[in-house]
Amino acid sequence: MENKAVEVKSNQPIKSPSGFNIIWREIVRDKLALISLIFLVLIIAFVYGIALFLDQDEIVRVDLFSIYQPPGEGFILGTDYGGRDIFGQLIIGTRNSLSIAILVTLMTGVIGIAYGLISGYFGGHIDNIMMRILDFFLILPFTMIVIAFVAIVPKYTVVTFSLIMTAFLWMGIARLIRSKALQEKELDYIQASKTLGSSNFKIIFTQLLPNCSSLIIVTMTLNLAANIGLESGLSFLGFGFPESTPSLGTLLSYATNPQTLEYRWWIWVPASIMILLLMLSVNNVGQALKRATDARQRRG
Amino acid sequence: MSYLEVKDLKVHFPIKGGIFGGTVDHIKAVDGVSISLEKGKTYGLVGESGSGKSTTGRAIIGLNKITSGKVIFDGVDITNIKRTKSEATKNIQMIFQDPYSSLNPKKRVVDIVSEPLRNFENLSRKEERKRVQELLELVGLSPESILKYPHEFSGGQRQRIGIARAIALKPKLIIADEPVSALDVSVQAQVLNFMKEIQKELDLTYLFISHDLGVIKHMCDDIGIMYKGRYVEEGTADDIFSNPQHIYTKRLVAAIPDIDPNKRDEKRKFREEVKTEYDQSYNDYFDAEGLAYKLQPVSDTHLVALPEKG
Amino acid sequence: MWKFSVRRTLIMIPQLIVLSILIFVLAQLMPGDALSGQVGPDVDPKRLDEIREQMGWNDPWYEQYASWMGGVLQGDLGQSFRFKIPVTELIGQRIYNSFWLSVATLILTYLIAIPLGITSGRFNDTWRDQLITGYTYVGFATPLFIFALVMLWIFGFALGWFPTSGSVSPGLVPGTFEYFMSKLYHLLLPAISMALITTYSTIQYLRNEIVDTKQKDFILTARAKGASETRVYNRHILRNSLLPIAAFFGFEITGLIGGSIFIENIFGYPGMGQLLVESITLRDYTTLIATTLIFGVASILGALLSDITLSIVDPRIRIK
Repeated sequence: MENKAVEVKSNQPIKSPSGFNIIWREIVRDKLALISLIFLVLIIAFVYGIALFLDQDEIVRVDLFSIYQPPGEGFILGTDYGGRDIFGQLIIGTRNSLSIAILVTLMTGVIGIAYGLISGYFGGHIDNIMMRILDFFLILPFTMIVIAFVAIVPKYTVVTFSLIMTAFLWMGIARLIRSKALQEKELDYIQASKTLGSSNFKIIFTQLLPNCSSLIIVTMTLNLAANIGLESGLSFLGFGFPESTPSLGTLLSYATNPQTLEYRWWIWVPASIMILLLMLSVNNVGQALKRATDARQRRG
Repeated sequence: MSYLEVKDLKVHFPIKGGIFGGTVDHIKAVDGVSISLEKGKTYGLVGESGSGKSTTGRAIIGLNKITSGKVIFDGVDITNIKRTKSEATKNIQMIFQDPYSSLNPKKRVVDIVSEPLRNFENLSRKEERKRVQELLELVGLSPESILKYPHEFSGGQRQRIGIARAIALKPKLIIADEPVSALDVSVQAQVLNFMKEIQKELDLTYLFISHDLGVIKHMCDDIGIMYKGRYVEEGTADDIFSNPQHIYTKRLVAAIPDIDPNKRDEKRKFREEVKTEYDQSYNDYFDAEGLAYKLQPVSDTHLVALPEKG
Repeated sequence: MWKFSVRRTLIMIPQLIVLSILIFVLAQLMPGDALSGQVGPDVDPKRLDEIREQMGWNDPWYEQYASWMGGVLQGDLGQSFRFKIPVTELIGQRIYNSFWLSVATLILTYLIAIPLGITSGRFNDTWRDQLITGYTYVGFATPLFIFALVMLWIFGFALGWFPTSGSVSPGLVPGTFEYFMSKLYHLLLPAISMALITTYSTIQYLRNEIVDTKQKDFILTARAKGASETRVYNRHILRNSLLPIAAFFGFEITGLIGGSIFIENIFGYPGMGQLLVESITLRDYTTLIATTLIFGVASILGALLSDITLSIVDPRIRIK
């Protein structure tokens, strides 16, 4: 199929630019977003690259001879109460936090998009019932309900953690997609598809979905930023990653000890800065995408 | 038995309200319309916006649910049937009013035109591409443009893409819902003449929906005039244009512009006469709710909505 | 209007029922039952089974649910596993603390949001607007708990301006002025920390509302008639933009609950959020269930309140 496309292209030089070109142009034009993007790419390459050579078990092993070492020789960023290297934990923690944030963003994305498309496309009673359910999920305080679930799950692992997070985070994107679907389905191209004999399922996923793509990209990017914060927050409270799996949040949770908060800044400040930088830069990219997809807000 | 037979078609939309969101009332968008259409002919459905003409067309093709009545196509009852894999879908196609929203902006022309082929015919990619190129050629577009997006075409060209998609399955009946009203006047004639050409070439039957009597006159053999969901008059083009009986039809016919400047005064006088007649005799032609009466035959082909005698 | 209110209230009933079932299921899934907290390990297991039978814990789930609900409706939230006192007693003082923390946060949120939002909207695209927009941008991207930690570090420990834990200094008599001031002093830093972060959405909303309203025809008409700029703002624009903000406070409850879980734990403030986390660490499941239930009901009621006030303020909402 790929070959044929190229073949036809040769006698048809004007293959029109896709939406991604416009998005790319907008990001390059926005200096802040460009810097953020470069930072993200570097951080991701660095963190995932270095983590390949770091042994997680080695890093989380308690070493009683080097408890609470301040930054300096041997330990670039010092050690924690177990004598564990903060720098290594930061690298692995960033990787773990990013991975789970990306995983949760993708899972909530898939559920939310499908839910929103179905609800918006069919409308009527189906939409009514589906929105009632969504409203209910939306009203529940996220942190509270996740904590409660984490507390009672018997075999608690990283997988269950991301599933619990996903279960209470799909509503935002579902709502946005649903209102977009409500608008789009009134357009004639959807009606045309019906008269052409396409099934509802096919119309939803091959006609409606591509027209929500820009909204999906923007929302998922902004969600990613939010999810980094949510994961670290939950880990901070002790309801995210177990301590044997370092994350940015578990590093911060050491700061609940007033001694650490007051005198051992090297344990929690680097992780805080990392979270802030990650969230800000993902957010910057998201905002630039938002401008790119909304012609009225485009800068250039 | 005619080719397409619509019997006492009713399409009612519920009005929701109240504490429990129940149905309070109905809007009678189409209220008892009957059409019979011969093979190879063009039937014009005329009316102002909100008269129910588009709803009628959409109900026939299955986009709106039919409340009551029957639609029979080529001897088969197709009222409210499932359209996904049916013969009726293959045989009845639609051309939409707005060439801008009727083509998916995210799809390339090849995907747009081949959508019906993918649903009904098992073609290889190569065959499919060849068919799409043939179809584009047939509607007068360059076959090389299959990889372009709709926004790279003009309104007239886009409507041609819509027509190519509609004729891809070799349908027998095409419902054209105001196919030219979104186009520039200069392009309108082109598209209309082209529709006439392919009608002969492919032996098509048209149900032509429009608010523009000029266009209808150019295209149609038989005409039905709708007002508030009901017919006010039905007949051949000759019946309607030379011998309008209902006061509503008379006003519509009087409003057709004439390019001959010598007749300008004559036309204006005629329009004023009709308006006076309309104001005076409105109550003779419409019932207490302002709706049309039942159709009464005037001649073999000509029906007019008049109060029953007696 | 009343039609919408009645409908909206009716919608709340299934929400409450679903919430109660959800929490009941949670309670059933939790390890152990009320007995495990009350008896020692030396009691004969047979005797335990008899008690269980007597108490109806072997009944079908719907009967258990009914009797649990009956208890809840009468204010019986069960016995704390850990502290061996009724949960209601445990919650009493804390709910009061959390309530005042929320009120202080809400007041501060609006105190910050309204002037900033108005300035930003009125002088949009000037340096003042850019400054404020920058603040909302950073506020949006900063997790509450990190900001709170930094605030506690700087103002609590490094500068020593505020207490670093508790809700009142020990040794003061309730009812005295000193007691009241001490309470206020203790909740100030947590409330400021939370308000500074959560206020960004209100500022943004207000700004966008004002920028939108500014270009509407009726504002142009008011200007054309010669109304002064101050009058245009006070009489026309603010009336349209501020009322919806005021109505949002019900929705804020859900956010406040989420925030209070972090804030109370960081500042060692004895409220419901801290109790929730404590009850899990101590495996005090009856308390956990009770806290979750109270938080859930508060959120549902908050949303109801906001929806109804909004429908009074903004008729567009009613068409739903």
